[in-house]
Amino acid sequence: MPSESHDCACAERESLFVPREAKILHAHAPTSTEKHFTLQFADGSPLIFEPGQILEVGVMGYGEIPIGIASSPTRTHTFEIVVRTVGRVSTAINNKNIGDSLWVRGPLGHGFDVDALRGHDVLVVAGGIGICPTRSLIQYIADQRDDFGRFVLFYGARDPLQLLFPEDRGVWRATHGIEYHETVDRADISWTGNVGVITTLFRNTHLSEDTRVIICGPPVMFEFVIRELDQAGIKRENIYVDLERRMKCGVGKCGHCQINNKYCCIDGPVFTYAEIHELEEAI
Amino acid sequence: MSSFYIEERDFGTFVNTLAQNTRVVGPVAKRQKFVFGEIGSVEELRLDYDITILPPKKVFFPPKQVIARFDADSVEGTIAPVDTVLLGVHPYDVRGIDMTDFLFRERNEDWDYLAQREATTIVASNVQKVAPRAFWASMIDTNEPKGHDAYLTKLDGGYVFETRTPKGEALLARGAFRDATGPEVAAAQSVNADALGQCQEQLPYTSAEIAKTIRESFSNEELWDELSKDCFSCGSCNTVCPTCYCFDMRDVWNLDQKSGTRTRYWDACLTKEFAAISMPGGGHENFREHHQTRFRHRFMRKGAYLNEKLGSPACTGCGRCSMACTVDIADPVRVITTIMEWS
Repeated sequence: MPSESHDCACAERESLFVPREAKILHAHAPTSTEKHFTLQFADGSPLIFEPGQILEVGVMGYGEIPIGIASSPTRTHTFEIVVRTVGRVSTAINNKNIGDSLWVRGPLGHGFDVDALRGHDVLVVAGGIGICPTRSLIQYIADQRDDFGRFVLFYGARDPLQLLFPEDRGVWRATHGIEYHETVDRADISWTGNVGVITTLFRNTHLSEDTRVIICGPPVMFEFVIRELDQAGIKRENIYVDLERRMKCGVGKCGHCQINNKYCCIDGPVFTYAEIHELEEAI
Repeated sequence: MSSFYIEERDFGTFVNTLAQNTRVVGPVAKRQKFVFGEIGSVEELRLDYDITILPPKKVFFPPKQVIARFDADSVEGTIAPVDTVLLGVHPYDVRGIDMTDFLFRERNEDWDYLAQREATTIVASNVQKVAPRAFWASMIDTNEPKGHDAYLTKLDGGYVFETRTPKGEALLARGAFRDATGPEVAAAQSVNADALGQCQEQLPYTSAEIAKTIRESFSNEELWDELSKDCFSCGSCNTVCPTCYCFDMRDVWNLDQKSGTRTRYWDACLTKEFAAISMPGGGHENFREHHQTRFRHRFMRKGAYLNEKLGSPACTGCGRCSMACTVDIADPVRVITTIMEWS
């Protein structure tokens, strides 16, 4: 059977699925399950992105997984990710060290609409590893602090050992202009701060109805946080949720991340609550 | 564009010449059934088929498609389309290809699909024998197929060959075609009109009615429990569907453990792990854990979400899912009719 290869320009077109090599410039493990990487594309080109966008990050031979970008586009030409070891691919990623390569596609999806936040009070509610993609926005706001109103940051984790970014937390705590509150579900002997789920932080914080809110955390957290925001009179269109789904392609084709008629990978992962509150599969 | 005619014996020469120079894929017999397969000569071609086991989407979107090859320090894409003539595609399958063309093109162009699609010339053909569960006659009026390059209709002693695109016209040079006469064109129209009357099942609702009612049924748990109660979550309905295009990506090592492939495989939203993500401690969060929600998602996609995008349900009426479903609960006519009539 003769088979002529096709000579039209379409043979030269680029695949959506071929990743680019990124070198690990820095890596450390802040907890027993997370690893924090600073990356740079091997060809030296910068990653142009908006806070809240995602990358498909992988190790060839193992596959790739969607990861939120943990650094701000306002800072240098490197980018950071934090990967939690939960499965085969994340284990392969977290076995890599300085000088090794990861294979990256992206940025993908829609991030936080920073223009819509500009000029307004902002509350970030980050639970567990949800601090990682929101750190991108936190740094962005901190770097352009005068463009935003009051800036409140809630961060909660299961226990003190799970709290990430100790240096950042020190800066947030000390920075005039950031109202930083943290909590743990379960304290240890060293802990002197708030104990309880993240919604307990709402007790002592009065929010203006005009506040823009960003929520990122485990699925169970959303419903309870949104209940607090309802009581504070904050409108659905001013609440941004950063959702997590299985994403194999990241470009709106493979179907895995679909939430009703939305694709988490291209319509999100950041949605306004107004967009998704009627989608029964969302949260 | 224009109508031509080719005698039966010349048609054989045309197909054989084509197959000697180009990759030709068409319906061929496989035991008691039919499949789209590569053909070497006209003897293998079975234009009298009723339906193939799998739809022709596999020509552009293979069940297993290598996307990239990697070695220790490098990764390369593998897009390498091969000129192909896809022969004997029934109109309902042309509709399926139209839909997947749109879906692989919208928002992000998927050249791993589109490159092979553009390298393929599609010759549709009339349905000579209607499959028992087919209902495409009631799906076709709202959406005439448009993705084919030529259309072949079998008459006694020969074929009317209508060209629809320049790619279709280019085939004229490969065979002994002459202009079709008026009576031949009229006979072809009559043959195609007759086939429409032979579908045993019908779905007598408009696309807009289907989209609206299916969407409104989302929260009717009793309905979805009832419709899906026997579902095995096997994904057979997904696998045989001309418009299903979900996929998984998997890396596979070569024996050297340094090189390998990144490959996409057909996937099925009915299967249990489809929307599951790994959680710490070896657990899972499954966003569609129950078979009812997965079954509902499939019909929401076909009947509402994609319907709103495509202007008609993402269903061609081929009836493959009805035949493939072990417990016979996948039949879109039965499911959609039940939803429309539920009160």
